[in-house]
Parts: sequence; C-alpha cells; structure tokens
Amino acid sequence: MDIRTREEGSVTVLYLKGRLDLASGATLKEEVKKLFAKGCTQIHLNLAEVEFINSSGLGSLVSVMKEVRLLKGRLTLSNLASYVQEIFDITQLSHIFEVFPTEEDALVSSQSVSVV
Amino acid sequence: MAEYSLRYPSVSDSEERMLDDLDKIVCENEIEAATAQPLKLAVSEAFTNALIHGNRQDCRKLIRIDLRVNECEVTADIADQGHGGLKQVLNRRPPAPLAENGRGIDLIRHTTTAATFWENESGGLVVSIRLKRNVKSGVNG
Repeated sequence: MDIRTREEGSVTVLYLKGRLDLASGATLKEEVKKLFAKGCTQIHLNLAEVEFINSSGLGSLVSVMKEVRLLKGRLTLSNLASYVQEIFDITQLSHIFEVFPTEEDALVSSQSVSVV
Repeated sequence: MAEYSLRYPSVSDSEERMLDDLDKIVCENEIEAATAQPLKLAVSEAFTNALIHGNRQDCRKLIRIDLRVNECEVTADIADQGHGGLKQVLNRRPPAPLAENGRGIDLIRHTTTAATFWENESGGLVVSIRLKRNVKSGVNG
C-alpha cells in the first residue's frame, strides 16, 4: 500500500492506495506513529483508492483511532468505496468512526470543530 | 470448471502473494466484482485465521487453499495445519466495539452464501466457503 500525506491547516491528510490488510495495516500504524511524534493529532484518511480491506486492515484503523483519542486528537475518514462502506456497516464500525462522503466535508468539519 | 490448489508458508509475506494469486484467478475466470470482492474478503479472513491462530506463523506449516470456479458458483476450502482451531471458532465471542481483531469469522459468515468450519483428519481447521455468482450487491448471500 502507498501512503501519501499532505498538510491542510492543522489536519494531516493521508491518502491510502492499494490494499489495507495485515501487512499494510502495520505500515499505516507506523506512519501514524511518526505523525504523533511530530505532534500531529488531527488526522484524516482518504480511502478513495483503497481497493481492498479486511478485518486486519479494520483493526489497524481501530488501533489508530484509539491512539488518536488517547492524545485527545481527531480521526476522520472519507471517500469509502461502496464495498468498503458495506464492510464498515457489517462490523458496525460505521458507528465508531467519523466517516464523511468527501475529504472536503471532513476538512470543513475539522474547521468547525476548531472554531468552537 | 476451473480448479486451483494453492499452498503458502505461514509467514506474513504470504498474504500479499495469496491476494495477488486470487486477483489472477478472478481475472482468468472473469469473475464479476459482486462475487470477486466477497470472495477475496472471505478467503483473506480464513487465510489470516490460519496464519495467526491455526499455524501460529510457523513457517514450517502450510496454509492450503483449494478453489473451484464454475459459472454458477465459487467454492473454496482454506485449511491450516494447526490443532484446536475448530473449538476456538465454535467458542468464540463477538468482539468488543473497540477490539482490534476478532471480526474475521463474522465477515466470512456475512459475505458468503454458505460457510462451514470443520476439522480435517490431521486436526487442522478447514473453512469451506461457497459464493453464488451473478449477485448484484457486494454482499453475497
């Protein structure tokens, strides 16, 4: 899996491309750890190019979310393919994560939270 | 009917090779996305279960996938070389909301037409799945 990052104000956006599974989930966790070390705790994951996700990949997302919460940060997701969204719904993780239709929606939401 | 017998050592690198092989099988057999997506997910979940829990990432132990494709359905058996796996599956509890693992068996059951768990003569867990083809939604059944 490829991971590309960019900064958007106080939010670090990660673009994930490829499969999110056991091996790449570990890679994602390592990348996010590096962001935490730099003090970045507002993280958005754009999953538009995630072509496959399994329970190991979901587990890595849960792990990231728990770490973000411990740091009193925020994690948002966007652009889930319909099949990925179905997996979130089956596992009821759609209730746990903040999922937005688009990256723009998520970033606007982050700005609103910052203002409040 | 096309039949495939795949064997992988129980190391973490095997997961990517297995998914690559599944992609090739999907392509060769022109399996539609509505079947291919749940097929890859269910096989992947059974594979990970075999890798982590069945064979405990012992590189000497193999994960076997026997897969059959015809125009009506796809079936697969995923077997480990461990012991006690069936008991673990039958006695498992649903994962807590923030659990980082434990969702694989539920995903197999939800995304396949049928899934059975049984023990082979060697004591290894076998996950047998069936997916009917030509289903329009991403979730089979």
